[in-house]
Amino acid sequence: MLRRFRLEEPETIAEASELLSRFGESAKVYAGGTELLLAMKEGLVQYERLINIKKLQNLREAKADDGMISIGALCTHHELETSPVLRHKLPALHRLEQNVANVRVRQAGTLGGNLCFAEPHADPGTLLTALGATMVAEKASGRREISAEDFFVDAYETSLQGDELLTEIRIAAPEEHFRSAYLKFGYLERPSVGVAVAFKLNGGGLTDVKIAVGCAGPSPRRVREAEALLNGKSKEEAQRSLAQAGQVAGRASQAISDLHGSQDYKEHIVGVLLKRAFQSAAG
Amino acid sequence: MQFKKEVEIRAPREQVWNFIWDVDRFIACVPGCKEAKTIEAGKKYAATMVEKVGPFKVEFPTSIEVLERDELNHIKAQASGADNKIGSRMKIDLDVHLRDQNGNTVVGFVANVDILGKLAALGHGIIKRKADQVLDEFAQAVKQRLEGNS
Repeated sequence: MLRRFRLEEPETIAEASELLSRFGESAKVYAGGTELLLAMKEGLVQYERLINIKKLQNLREAKADDGMISIGALCTHHELETSPVLRHKLPALHRLEQNVANVRVRQAGTLGGNLCFAEPHADPGTLLTALGATMVAEKASGRREISAEDFFVDAYETSLQGDELLTEIRIAAPEEHFRSAYLKFGYLERPSVGVAVAFKLNGGGLTDVKIAVGCAGPSPRRVREAEALLNGKSKEEAQRSLAQAGQVAGRASQAISDLHGSQDYKEHIVGVLLKRAFQSAAG
Repeated sequence: MQFKKEVEIRAPREQVWNFIWDVDRFIACVPGCKEAKTIEAGKKYAATMVEKVGPFKVEFPTSIEVLERDELNHIKAQASGADNKIGSRMKIDLDVHLRDQNGNTVVGFVANVDILGKLAALGHGIIKRKADQVLDEFAQAVKQRLEGNS
């Protein structure tokens, strides 16, 4: 059962940040509530105050300008799965959003909430890591940018400070030869493994390869060692190196044996998904 | 969940044994342990364990019982506690073995950890990883404390 709590409704980011600062661990930011309220109903966490940030302005739009794609942290998954900007500019993220959890979660859950809760089996963090996304964190006294790679610290832990809010996710608008894909696999409610690849592919071969693995371990991880095996190679050469890159990525995933599968199994699936994600992106 | 750790300590076996047998100091090396105290010397001890995974925090008032003791070689202990706020229980069976190696002492820990109740909703993998981290830090804290004293 949900215990009583006080609902604060700040109208500006500065007000929200001040509330977080004043009430510390007894308060929590509340956006879509799809993860937080479940945990509170279960009695796993208790807060005296929830800080409802849904009334904050300008955090609910996905737009493209100045070579950047900007996604407001309060965009729901449904708004993103129906966003023309994402569909045209970032089809991999668009497809990912179409497949987040279920329709009820997509209607209420926000991208920002998903990232901040940092549930290990969440999808978006992995692809955003491979896309080289930047998280914008704001508080009363200023703002800073955190790379997606540095944003995820551990299971349920991000590098946001106690009084900071995630307000925006920024991704460089893809150039002409940019390709990306995200694939996941699982047989329970949440995925067991998620793999994302992004690269540029033109006549000269592959450049700027980024590979990220998620869900298998505590948090999304970029795997530079696997990227190095593909970077600078022709498509055909890269295909021959995929098995090795998959093994490297599997080991780097920090896979944990649990109900979603054993460590060995998950590491193997990382390799399978990497191969398929690469084929899907490279065409 | 079973965990095994070994840590080599630059100290003679007797000194290591004396430290381990100073149970409330030994327990205090567990990260997140507060208020370790002796209830019945050599047999029963109490402590409060506080652990955190992201926003999830548990506080287990824990009772520790020494079940077996083989001078300079082995201690077997059991710790159990419950967090009524979250509705979770934990039980740890701990075996600590000592042996000599190159003039140093190797301390081996074997811990069987059971977590029951709502906390299990976090997922077996996350809890296992956390317990593994805690045991790792515990082993390192014991090493530091002893080598710092030697």
